Amino acid sequence: MSALGLLRRAALLLAVPALLVAAWWLLTAGSTDFFWPPLSQILGAFDDTWFHGRFTRDVLPSVGRLLAGYLLALVIGVGLGTAIGSVRTLRALLEPVLEFFRAIPPPVLVPILMLFAGIGTGMKILVIVSGCVWPVLLNTVEGVRALDEVLGDTARCYRMRPHSRYVHLVLRGASPQIAAGARQALSIGIILMVISEMFAAGDGVGFTIVQFQRGFAIPQMWTGIILLGLIGVVLSLLFQLVESWALRWYTGLRGSEREG
Amino acid sequence: MTRFRAALAAAGLLLLSACGSGNDSDSGGGPATLKLSVIPIVDVAPIYLGQQQGFFAEQGLKLQIVTAQGGAAIVPAVVSGQVDFGFSNYTSLILARSKGLPLKVVGPGNASTGQAGKDFGGVLVKAGSPIRTPKDLAGKRVAVNTLNNINDTTVRASIRKAGGDPANVRFTELAFPDMLAALDKGNVDAVQVVEPFLTTGLKAGDRLVASNYVDTAPNLTIAGYFTSQKTASSKPELVKKFSAALQESLRYAAAHPDAARKVLAAYTKISPAVASALILPKWPASVDRASVDTLARLAQQDGLIKTVPDTGGLLP
Repeated sequence: MSALGLLRRAALLLAVPALLVAAWWLLTAGSTDFFWPPLSQILGAFDDTWFHGRFTRDVLPSVGRLLAGYLLALVIGVGLGTAIGSVRTLRALLEPVLEFFRAIPPPVLVPILMLFAGIGTGMKILVIVSGCVWPVLLNTVEGVRALDEVLGDTARCYRMRPHSRYVHLVLRGASPQIAAGARQALSIGIILMVISEMFAAGDGVGFTIVQFQRGFAIPQMWTGIILLGLIGVVLSLLFQLVESWALRWYTGLRGSEREG
Repeated sequence: MTRFRAALAAAGLLLLSACGSGNDSDSGGGPATLKLSVIPIVDVAPIYLGQQQGFFAEQGLKLQIVTAQGGAAIVPAVVSGQVDFGFSNYTSLILARSKGLPLKVVGPGNASTGQAGKDFGGVLVKAGSPIRTPKDLAGKRVAVNTLNNINDTTVRASIRKAGGDPANVRFTELAFPDMLAALDKGNVDAVQVVEPFLTTGLKAGDRLVASNYVDTAPNLTIAGYFTSQKTASSKPELVKKFSAALQESLRYAAAHPDAARKVLAAYTKISPAVASALILPKWPASVDRASVDTLARLAQQDGLIKTVPDTGGLLP
């Protein structure tokens, strides 16, 4: 890509965020409204609020719980999803139940989860898992169901072992769908990370934002909201990296199909 | 390009109108509508009672009660003018005041009964707990409904009064309805509860180890009704009428505790059996200034605020 093309891409990427920040800055510039402080004041409070102890005390535990819950949801979702997707009877048996459970918003489960998972880190991770697992699970089921039958028959003819059949046929074939579910789950995970910290928490970004709000430290509260957004951006960038690496065969395939 | 500009202008307008939403409760003839935001708990029984008795109508007010989940949502609603008056505990009001929020108390809310062991709030432990006095709470896990607020500061005051060190008490935030289960399961060692959970816990065999409001100050004022400075100066008539109706309601509730217990069924889910057994707070006619100063001092001592604000400007 030429230097000019690169510049153009960067401009396209940053144009809207820059415009939004500029609009925010201008609209709040002379604000005396207590709950809408000037953006300059919010940004001024950012460093003091987060990078003098709170990063390790609140941000890292939050992100740690998010990643633990998210990865656990991935493992459970993919594991159960491939099983349900592969076995028709299992699918018929479980589908109504799954639809029932996925419709329950995790926040209403928190008081119940507290009864058997306590009020510690385990409960918070469980809240994240309980929400993240659904898009992964349901997309995996769909992905496995939509596997190319010819490929399945071929694998059978070649007597592929169950393990390599699972890894090379089932998982790989369903991986574009799994990735779509995993992407949805990531944003749900961030929301639930915050929500789980509103119950019985002692640290975390969500917890800290609520504390700021209750203590009427409004600029600091806004810095927390901005930080949450930034965490979302960073995680989504990381996700894209992993996805493009894991699905490089798929994007290659799609590309050649389009050309051919 | 023009369309884009128009869209941008529209978006700007939307933002502006979102920032400045307010209401005009003084406009028009007939009774003035008054919006009051409260948390639906035992403490605000006089308001519901006063509404039933017609004390607000007598003042020419049409009372509209807006219930909120927590005090944190009430202050912004009052400051932005979405509601005229709100109900909050004094520690929250002191915190808000110290950050420069222009709030003004218009009348007392409720107060501790002042009798140790017979107050409407206290610290419970399980029957077999080794914790016997507030001093034993040092180093233990104690649940409060909101951290850095009136309940943890007064529990610390209680521990200090008993000669203990509150520095290493581990406070955990739990909603009142979740506390007794958490105590029962051993997730926490003690819980700071108010009615009706206090009576429910005692009935279930839990043991009271501290009356934290009583230990903090004699006649500790807990909460009050407030408005914004803006409403106070732009609608003095409304404020005057509201305080008059409020005073009447508080007086009536204090004189008729049975009526107050009965009205609980109208806006809470408290069962009649618990409602008839629970300990009602005191509904005093005036704010105990000394105890508000005590709360401000405690907030500063526990690091909630840096400097003690002038409570005189906050109080009526």
